[in-house]
Amino acid sequence: MRISSYQRELRNEVRRLIHDPVLLGIVLVVFGLLAVFIVLPLVKVVQFSLWPGGQFNPKYFLNFFRKSYYWRPLINSMIVGSLVSLFGTIVAFIFAYGITRTDIPGKGIFRLIAMMPIVSPPFLIALAAILLLGHHGVVTEALHLNWDIYGLPGLVLTETLAYFPIAFMILEGVLSKIDPAIEEAALDMGASKLRTFLTVTLPLAIPGIASAMLLVFIRSLEDFGNPVVIQGNFQVLTVAAYHAVTGMYNMPLGATLAIFMLIPTLMIFVVQKYYVARRSYVTVTGKPSGVGLKSTEPHVKYPIFGLMILLSGVIILLYGVVLFGSFTKIWGIDHTLTLKNYQYVFSVGGQYVLDTIEIALIATPIGGILSMIIAYLVVRKRFLGRGLMEFVSMLNFAVPGVVVGIGYILAFNTPPLRLTGTALIIILVFIFRRMPVGIRDGIAQLQQIDPSIEEASSSLGAGFFRTFTRVTLPLVAPAFLSGLVYIFVRCMTAISAVVFVVSASWQLLTVALLYEVDQANLSAAAAYGYVIIAIVLAAIVLMRFVVEKLFQKGFSPIARE
Amino acid sequence: MKKALLILSVALVLFTAAFALGAAKQTLHIYTAFDADQAEVYIKAFEQSHPDIEVKWVRLSSGQVLARIRAEAANPQASLWFGGSNTSHIAAAKDGLLAPYKESLAWQFMPKQFKDPDGFWVGLYVGYIGFVSNTEFLKKVGAEAPTSWQDLLKPEFKGEISLAYPFSSGTAYTTLCGMLTAIGSPEPGFDPQDDAYIKAFDAQVHHYNESGSACITQAGQGEVGIGIAFSHDILKKGIAKGFPVVMTFPKEGTSYEIGGMALIKGGPEPELAKIFYNWALSKEAQDLYKQFYRIPLNPEATVAEGCVTASDVKVLPIDLLWYGEHKDEIIDHWHEVTGK
Amino acid sequence: MNDVVVRFEHIVKVFAEGSSREVRAVDDFSLSVGRGKLVTLLGPSGCGKTTTLRILAGFEFATSGDVYIEDRRVNDIPPQKRDTSMVFQSYGLFPHMTVYENVAYGLKVKHVPKVQIKRQVAEVLSLVGLEGLERRSVGQLSGGQQQRVALCRAIVTKPKVLLFDEPLSNLDAKLRKGTREQIRRLQQELGITSIYVTHDQAEAMSISDAIAVMNAGRLQQLGPAEEIYSRPANRFVADFIGEANFLPARVTAVADGQVTIRLFERDLTVEQDTPRFSPGEEVDTVVRPEAVDVIGIGEGDVDAEILFSHYTGSVVLYALKLPDGNRMEVQVANPKERGLLPIGTVVGLRLHRKSLHLLKKET
Repeated sequence: MRISSYQRELRNEVRRLIHDPVLLGIVLVVFGLLAVFIVLPLVKVVQFSLWPGGQFNPKYFLNFFRKSYYWRPLINSMIVGSLVSLFGTIVAFIFAYGITRTDIPGKGIFRLIAMMPIVSPPFLIALAAILLLGHHGVVTEALHLNWDIYGLPGLVLTETLAYFPIAFMILEGVLSKIDPAIEEAALDMGASKLRTFLTVTLPLAIPGIASAMLLVFIRSLEDFGNPVVIQGNFQVLTVAAYHAVTGMYNMPLGATLAIFMLIPTLMIFVVQKYYVARRSYVTVTGKPSGVGLKSTEPHVKYPIFGLMILLSGVIILLYGVVLFGSFTKIWGIDHTLTLKNYQYVFSVGGQYVLDTIEIALIATPIGGILSMIIAYLVVRKRFLGRGLMEFVSMLNFAVPGVVVGIGYILAFNTPPLRLTGTALIIILVFIFRRMPVGIRDGIAQLQQIDPSIEEASSSLGAGFFRTFTRVTLPLVAPAFLSGLVYIFVRCMTAISAVVFVVSASWQLLTVALLYEVDQANLSAAAAYGYVIIAIVLAAIVLMRFVVEKLFQKGFSPIARE
Repeated sequence: MKKALLILSVALVLFTAAFALGAAKQTLHIYTAFDADQAEVYIKAFEQSHPDIEVKWVRLSSGQVLARIRAEAANPQASLWFGGSNTSHIAAAKDGLLAPYKESLAWQFMPKQFKDPDGFWVGLYVGYIGFVSNTEFLKKVGAEAPTSWQDLLKPEFKGEISLAYPFSSGTAYTTLCGMLTAIGSPEPGFDPQDDAYIKAFDAQVHHYNESGSACITQAGQGEVGIGIAFSHDILKKGIAKGFPVVMTFPKEGTSYEIGGMALIKGGPEPELAKIFYNWALSKEAQDLYKQFYRIPLNPEATVAEGCVTASDVKVLPIDLLWYGEHKDEIIDHWHEVTGK
Repeated sequence: MNDVVVRFEHIVKVFAEGSSREVRAVDDFSLSVGRGKLVTLLGPSGCGKTTTLRILAGFEFATSGDVYIEDRRVNDIPPQKRDTSMVFQSYGLFPHMTVYENVAYGLKVKHVPKVQIKRQVAEVLSLVGLEGLERRSVGQLSGGQQQRVALCRAIVTKPKVLLFDEPLSNLDAKLRKGTREQIRRLQQELGITSIYVTHDQAEAMSISDAIAVMNAGRLQQLGPAEEIYSRPANRFVADFIGEANFLPARVTAVADGQVTIRLFERDLTVEQDTPRFSPGEEVDTVVRPEAVDVIGIGEGDVDAEILFSHYTGSVVLYALKLPDGNRMEVQVANPKERGLLPIGTVVGLRLHRKSLHLLKKET
């Protein structure tokens, strides 16, 4: 009897797991967590949509296509997404090219500006847009414009600026990783710099550009904060789902809208990961080396420099106006400076500040370590179901925050897991929401380590825990700690999932901010925004200090000479 | 390995200690539809006169409160619903989400048009829907402030109106009920003239907000020209704040709300909720409404100067009970007509 | 006492099975290693030697076949439980730990008391001449020192099997010889059963008790260095180890332990009993370049013309053309004595009879 090789391999893998109970235990625990906190909410969303009230009933699903006020938001979201991914990538490309391929001055500052939207709640930009270009905005008034920024223009502007940093990071990596020898060879054969750029550089960068566009598209589709503020009458799907759930308690409707949000993002995610990423000729790991060809011709350099200054100016203006607004009494009417707004934040919102920081501080290390464990399992170990673990843990990359939020309140409102209303549910949303990014970073960090080092540890008798804690973690520690800061930042600026799970006992700063915007208390909202930014900056500075102190001696985990 | 377990257990202990410490006082969880800064005032006053009770509250618009307690029906997170248009309370009572409290003396003394006959909710205040218009805007377009529902359809007001979504805000739902009663047949529900009006009105709206009183600040700041909200909010947040706005009422008659309060069925702290309930109806608590221009329902409480009362405006005969019970249908139909 | 410590039985390892990139890295490999012996897996890159070693260590899993350590089947047992220790090509030292911490690591895992650890570490470090360097950070050591620390770390735990994965390939040539000696002496002193992987035949030949020559995943020949060199089992082994000429000949007679062949129109008798040849069979004669004398024309077994001389100081390797047009290489030691012969010279060649070896023709 011939067993298929697949069955044989399966049987061997099972046997191997049984002999390594520690590994088996960890694998089971991780799968359990992924199943409950990533898969179950999604299952619940589908269940509530197609089996409302326990019976199979595709009514809501079909209604989606019949009622224009259901499907139009989807079309709108797609339109916004397409425009945002296009413009966001263009803006990102200008910055990335300017920084990696020219010799313009002030690169450090430009990089900083390009990353600014990441450390703040993304919808702060929408707030700024209204302060400037709203119906009674400062610029609208000054120029006597008959038009305001609500609706499609507002959405495109705010989301482009909020999400271009993502594209920027990808493009910066791609442009600086292209082997200079390839471009030099082209020049050597007589191609002009322009021709080299168009026929060599750009084609090599295309997978990266495609990835950037797709990822920005996903972020735009799932954006909740900006639309809630500035969509006007141009409704998008995320806000519609929110209304369905919190305004109308129509869970089946909310779940259905969530599904239609999920379909495009999942499709795009799959295309990006399995099609585009595979065709990359350039790997983006480690820090950019920036040694490609530099464009020093004035007719290239100056326009790019000019554009970058313009864009940077816009960004600084937006953040600046919010900062200024946070010190004004009543925006639009009374611009006398006052600290009243900050007092308001710390009195009415004082508990929110504490709650938010406390929850973020708990979620961050747990999320970081869990991500690192999963990254380690996926990269270093071979076991039954490894591919599945990798796929599921990356799934949340494609799931919009609103869908996660809805899924969590559907899944965790009844025994045996009654978590609604607790801090725990918020912590869990924080941990699992952005875990894919943590895992991807963890994988990159682990790939920097010579595998022989960890194999040596196993060879000497150390099991999973000892190897992980004594050898792996210390070697990735500096990058790991820096990674923790990003998790903390994401916790502090999150809105789309957590707006569903805050409760009487636990409130968050971003939700309070949104409330103030809705109440048209723009000055108070601005103050909330800058309190969040201040906390985030403090965390970044603190962590940098800690990392420097702990790792001054510095060593290289790459033993190959 | 042992070290890891030690650290974990220390962390766990610290964590639980932190939680436990918070539980030294008695805690009452409430949902309130009052604006945050008003709620803060009322609740702080309660805490001051009841120093052993700590109140944890969340501010949601009344539609959102209804949605929240519906979602939490199996495991209610709050014990009391404080404020918000009673149409939502009526809907909640119909769904069996509230607990009756007929034993309250305050409830017993409340006139019957301001309370639920079975004790499921009680009125705290009354409010009237009015229009708030930015005077500079009016000057710019050369129009008078609207004095009827039909005025709202004037071409110079196109894209200049804001109000809340009727499903999330009690204010907006009350407004909708008023429109449906004033336009076409006064019978409750949509009739064809109502459909036409709502569609035309929707075209005039610049954007919808989540909460009812946001449009007042927006009108005050000039973000929009006209807002529709409750008179007490217009007085407090618009006129008293010094915004260049003026308040008017529709001559056909305006809608009104009874601000309600109810005990949430199965809430975690029913006894503490009752204490708050009775306090909220006392003269001491209702006197606080003065600064916010609300009209208290406790006859002994003082009413603020300038408050708009029933003698100042014409009131529509709205069947609040019907509208409360049929909220879902009305909202569905609204979706159909507006396409939003 | 013939005590087998390591046993490979019909190990097969296939990568990317079923796909278009399927690769059979190890093909039906079987081997037994006795206690205290050092066996080397030798072969060109891609021959499967490292894969086989890693299967023994537990870092790879065999597709089929069994691995035994002291009669215990270890196929499914994770690496940390196998009681093997590996010295890696890149050393795999823990960069964030000192020399002491690196070497003590395995002992700490075994919960050996601290006092004993200190003693054992000091002992093993002195064995390789690194005494006193406990406190150094490994990044501060030279390549050779790092290699020795890796060695100490692996042996201090007294594993049942010691594994070496091309440990010397990152060292300079000069260091290699000295270190090679040190490793072998240490291994013999401590009597640890060892499996060594390398592609360097000189290394393999100088330190092994037996060499397993591998090619394309298969074992070609197993035996001590001398046997592999003078009695290669097939053309690959003959060609891979040292240099070889393959001269076609025909068997004329077979007797007990002797085979007579017809080569260069002469009858030569070769002492060889395996494999069995039959009269009339065509064979290849393995003639090592150093097993030929260069003498005057007509004085040897055949005359040949010099095509090129590769002079390397201590020897000169002449490439010559035989009368039938085939090419042959002959090595002459200390060329200074005789003088370098120019291209075009015709010389006589005499084969050393005892050094001839016959191979069956391979298709």
